[in-house]
Amino acid sequence: MDAVRAEGLTISYGGKSALSDVTFTLEEGKTLLLLGPNGAGKTSLLKTIACFHREYRGKIEVFGRKPCNARELIGYVPQSHSLNERVPLTALEVVAMGGIYRRGFAHFRIPSKVIEKAKGVLNFVGLGGMENRLFRELSGGQKQRILLARALMSDPKLLLLDEPLSALDPSARAEVANVLSKIKNEKRVTMIITTHDINPLLGVGDLVMLINKRLIAFGRPEAVLTDKVVKSVYGPLARVIPVGGRVYCITGDFHIHRGGHL
Amino acid sequence: MIPEFILRALLASIMVSVLLGFLSPIINTKGLAFLTHALFHALLFGAVLGMILALLLNSYSLVMIVALVATVVIVITIAELEKIGFTPDSAVGITASFAAGLTVLGFGILYKVMATRPYFPLTENIVSYLTGDIFLVSLSDLTLLVAGGTVIFFALLLLYRDFLYLSFDPEGVESYGGNARVYLMVLYVIVGTIGALIVQTVGLITLQVIAILPGAIALMVSNDLRKVLAVSFFTTLTVQLSSIVLAYYTAIPPSGIATIILGIVYGVLLARWRG
Repeated sequence: MDAVRAEGLTISYGGKSALSDVTFTLEEGKTLLLLGPNGAGKTSLLKTIACFHREYRGKIEVFGRKPCNARELIGYVPQSHSLNERVPLTALEVVAMGGIYRRGFAHFRIPSKVIEKAKGVLNFVGLGGMENRLFRELSGGQKQRILLARALMSDPKLLLLDEPLSALDPSARAEVANVLSKIKNEKRVTMIITTHDINPLLGVGDLVMLINKRLIAFGRPEAVLTDKVVKSVYGPLARVIPVGGRVYCITGDFHIHRGGHL
Repeated sequence: MIPEFILRALLASIMVSVLLGFLSPIINTKGLAFLTHALFHALLFGAVLGMILALLLNSYSLVMIVALVATVVIVITIAELEKIGFTPDSAVGITASFAAGLTVLGFGILYKVMATRPYFPLTENIVSYLTGDIFLVSLSDLTLLVAGGTVIFFALLLLYRDFLYLSFDPEGVESYGGNARVYLMVLYVIVGTIGALIVQTVGLITLQVIAILPGAIALMVSNDLRKVLAVSFFTTLTVQLSSIVLAYYTAIPPSGIATIILGIVYGVLLARWRG
């Protein structure tokens, strides 16, 4: 079954187009890496699929439904710096947030079933025993894993991740990439991940989409990550370089790397 | 024997401390300090409108009811403006300026209506709305404060976690099946109702300070939510009670003393935190 299907999708804000005429299909269980420079429309596409943004033309379906009718199937993981960390919430409370809103309006107490499940999910992302630590006192990688755990609480069929590696050091990036790999292999969840740095995620991604206000390329990593395509998105200074049997895409401040040969 | 007006003041202080002690941390974490500015205008507009109607209908109890209704209508308008895309600051700015303009017009009408009526203690009432006077709380004021305050407190308590989540990540609430807009609307109505219920005891001028500083102080001294709530509650209660004692012996308006004490405590903490 198709997890996401877009046909002639144009996303706009106040009539001004942010992303034009995008057509693609993502099969259930696959992971899509969404690349593009700042302002390319990556987050707009993600938020439209998540039903946070509703100004669009064309067709977009999530498991055969309109995005707003498929919310219970979707887990959204925002960038951790977009959260208000002044609120003194523990790791467990943040994770439990993903499991309480399907039932009831007032949630004075977190149900014991939700607490048990949250502890299990925390173990799954490698943060067992950190339930009572304050969210704001955790490292960047730990926060990102907490947000992944929160998304898993609702047993989603589609995970949308907005820049999960941004502002993380290399070891934290590897930690988060390992958890994403575990989610893909053990839970078979379909994922769409926006990123500037594809390098740590190549083991997870089945497909790559390059966008820059429109669809530039879509397909398997080895087909999409070519010198010509990368230059068309990131400009003439971008390059694809083979190093030790791997390929690195130099795109300015950061690089994209894929396995394989030129 | 404690005089009855002191007993009423003590009971009112406890109720104010319970309500603001719990609300103040939410006002700080959700960033609603500017909303309390709109509350000032909404309550004053409501009070002036209520006084006009009180004079025309010869029913003095209308003042608080009209102030409450006007405030709730105005905070709902702010929430609706945010819903259609205005930033919180813009929504408050537009609504507060509209309410302020209506208040000035209302004063013009109020003076004309007052000129047609025999003596009515409205001038004193306007002053008590602006500065607040906990010693002038009547038994009916206290009954309304305790009954209304209890209902609102339990609503706030039941939804406290949801308001924390709303402050932390509104998109997350929406994403996992909650309705962030409805929670925001309910929170605004609670803020407006609490403002209307306690305005006679703390006064419009000092309401903004007393609604914000205890929570700000509590969030500065603790990371644990239970401790934050305890510090916020006891800070409000201590300041309220000490201002009553000081005001009793010095005849200075208690809300003025409460505000000055809070300002000093917050300033000292800030200085220590920065040092």
